[in-house]
Amino acid sequence: MWAVILRRLTVAVMVALAVSVVTFGLSHVAIDPALALAGDSATDLDVEAIRERYGFDRPLVVQYADYLWRLLQLDFGTSYLTNRPVLEMIAERLPATALLAALSIAFALALAIPLGVSAALRPDSIVDRFALFFAVAGQSIPNFWAGLLLILLFGVQLRWLPISGSDTLAHFVLPMIALGSYATPALMRLTRAGMLDVLASDYIRTARAMGLSWLSILFRWGLRNALLPVISLTAVQFGFMLGGSIIIESVFAIQGIGYLAWQSMSRADMPVIQAIVLMISLFYITLTLLADLLNAWADPRLRTPA
Amino acid sequence: MKKLLATAVLGALTVGGPMLAAGSAEAGPEDNSLTIGLGEEFPNLNGYLNTARDGVVMTRHLFDTLIWRNPETFEYEPLLATAWRQIDDRTWEFDLREGVVFHDGSEFSAEDVAFTLNRYADPEAGARSQASVSWIERVEAVDPFTIRIVAKDPFPAALEFIAGSLPIYPSDTYQASGSEAFGQAPIGTGPYALTGVEGGTYTLTRNTAYFMGGGKGTPSIETLRVRAIPDSATRIAELIGGGIDWTWNVPSDQIDQLSNIPRVTAVLGSTMRIAMVALDAAGRSGPETPLADVRVRQAINHAIDRETIVASLVGGDGQTINVPCYPMQFGCDDSSAVVYDYNPEKAKALLAEAGYADGFAVDMASYRDRARAEAVQAYLAAVGITANLQMLQARASFSAWREGQIGMWYGDWGSFSIADTSASMGNFFNGGNNDGARDAEITALIEAANSSVDPEARERSYAEAIALATERAYWVPMHTIVMGYGYNSDLDFTPHVDELPRFYSTSWK
Repeated sequence: MWAVILRRLTVAVMVALAVSVVTFGLSHVAIDPALALAGDSATDLDVEAIRERYGFDRPLVVQYADYLWRLLQLDFGTSYLTNRPVLEMIAERLPATALLAALSIAFALALAIPLGVSAALRPDSIVDRFALFFAVAGQSIPNFWAGLLLILLFGVQLRWLPISGSDTLAHFVLPMIALGSYATPALMRLTRAGMLDVLASDYIRTARAMGLSWLSILFRWGLRNALLPVISLTAVQFGFMLGGSIIIESVFAIQGIGYLAWQSMSRADMPVIQAIVLMISLFYITLTLLADLLNAWADPRLRTPA
Repeated sequence: MKKLLATAVLGALTVGGPMLAAGSAEAGPEDNSLTIGLGEEFPNLNGYLNTARDGVVMTRHLFDTLIWRNPETFEYEPLLATAWRQIDDRTWEFDLREGVVFHDGSEFSAEDVAFTLNRYADPEAGARSQASVSWIERVEAVDPFTIRIVAKDPFPAALEFIAGSLPIYPSDTYQASGSEAFGQAPIGTGPYALTGVEGGTYTLTRNTAYFMGGGKGTPSIETLRVRAIPDSATRIAELIGGGIDWTWNVPSDQIDQLSNIPRVTAVLGSTMRIAMVALDAAGRSGPETPLADVRVRQAINHAIDRETIVASLVGGDGQTINVPCYPMQFGCDDSSAVVYDYNPEKAKALLAEAGYADGFAVDMASYRDRARAEAVQAYLAAVGITANLQMLQARASFSAWREGQIGMWYGDWGSFSIADTSASMGNFFNGGNNDGARDAEITALIEAANSSVDPEARERSYAEAIALATERAYWVPMHTIVMGYGYNSDLDFTPHVDELPRFYSTSWK
């Protein structure tokens, strides 16, 4: 088990390093940060002065080394626009995004697993058809469109829920549904497929032949095995949500990471964008690492090197 | 696609709207508060550092300038200064109002004016709009309630800038907190004080100690809650649902539908903002660009049917313009402009003459309105020019132009709401980053006009500059921009052409 952990950790660090190179490179190629900083009425002289003051005139390799060295000291830099430490700005926004992500993934799982299991138990039944319809609809309706429809129905017509903002828990209900229902279909289809596979397997037949209770077969041996891939996918989806959904957070005006990312992009606030991209990739790396380890724990076959 | 769907939703909202009845009384008129939905948050509320439009609106409520320009009469009126006079070509003297206090209770005096203006006249302070402050040589306090502002050169637009873009800060508080903290927790003398920032909502409370006799008057509404809601469809839904009482930047094509909803007033207001297709005559996007040829630029002017674009895609009382400035600005005389009629045949002939009978391809960026940008693209295609359109965010699009990455920019310019041609042509023909023409002759004329004190001489120089700029076709001057406002029908609100909503003079009916 330790060998697995060590191997996966090494890969994770390499990936993180690669991501830092890519984000740094992209942000220096995409725009000229000095010009972006100088603002609308700057003269060429102003731009040069800024270039010098912020060190944009140094070779890229030197700038990258400097950037990495500061990263290692947890210094993510200072926002060009607010002059505040980037880490502080992100920390401020993380709770809203994390809450939305946790609610949405819980919503998605609460829908996906029961639906997936029932669909697998009675293939081609009404339940299965409904689950399929739901999956196709959930996957194909764009996020912002679903968000607007929810606003229209529950915010404007029925007036049950607040439309935008992140002040109270009630503000998170509509975005949770919009974001969660987008994650549901894949999880549900995977649960169904896994469950069908498992139910057709020899050991389930053996268990049934031994006269064990159907429910305990279903949950102790069936679901546990069927959920292995679902764990991995949930981790990826959760990582995706922790990065903040730019669209959902903008539509519902939630003060989270996605909204911050969108804002920073439209204003070319490079240190913030870099930090967010790096953070999202770190989330992904950590969560896939965790999912791998969780799978390795749940399935001994995965512990031996291929 | 997204806009199309948003329009569809709005259509659905409107159909359903009347069913909502006028029920659900909102908090607004009852506790005399106003909830405002704006498009973006404010990185800071320092008027010298935040030049984005929504930020400017906020700073005009938090701070005061020395004098105030009445948006109805265009006359200057007293604000922090009670009287003013010009001493010589370069010097203005202001008598300051006594007994004014800042939001933190400190007293306002000449020292605050001298400190603030001297601080931001120094390029080190990093004022975003250097044009607003770079003309100031020094500001000196004559006595505790008299100051003098001395310009580096004669500067006729001085009062415009003093009334528009130079808020006064409390010197002790500012120095104690530092520029950055001040931007987060601003202290001014304005009609409203910032009393809270939470989760993207800014709370402004009426300044009960606000002085009487200033141009801004005494505010009626007690509390302004300013919320950042980036998505315009969500803002509109909030307006219909009563979550907000006021918003702007409502797309023109949704105004009619929105005004069908009871309790909501939706209007298009004309603005000082002008749209143009700026052409890269200087060859910043590449020395080989066909746009360096004046005949090609003239052809482009003939190719675009501006009248039709204005009639069908601008809406409201949007107007075509023929000048590279806003016609109501001082010095913006459109009779001196060379006007190009819509004539695709002539455009093709000019292109052929320039050696581009088979057309050419060029990169064009725009941001405000995709339909209008695509119309321009289509008109150009009709004479053989392939314009590769990049629809970008405002800032990114403007940067692409300023960095010389594109040949054509269909953008717009609001002149910082300043009614003088120095704020329009002065920003686009001055040899700076915005200037895609780099025409030394025009730059010299603009400089002469900017620094002359004789109004007639200024008008003559601007007229000559306009004649040259239009004859050499550096722009396709397009149209004025109309602003879509949506607000609670119980609100007594007046839009103004300078795109500066004044909530201190807004009230509940």
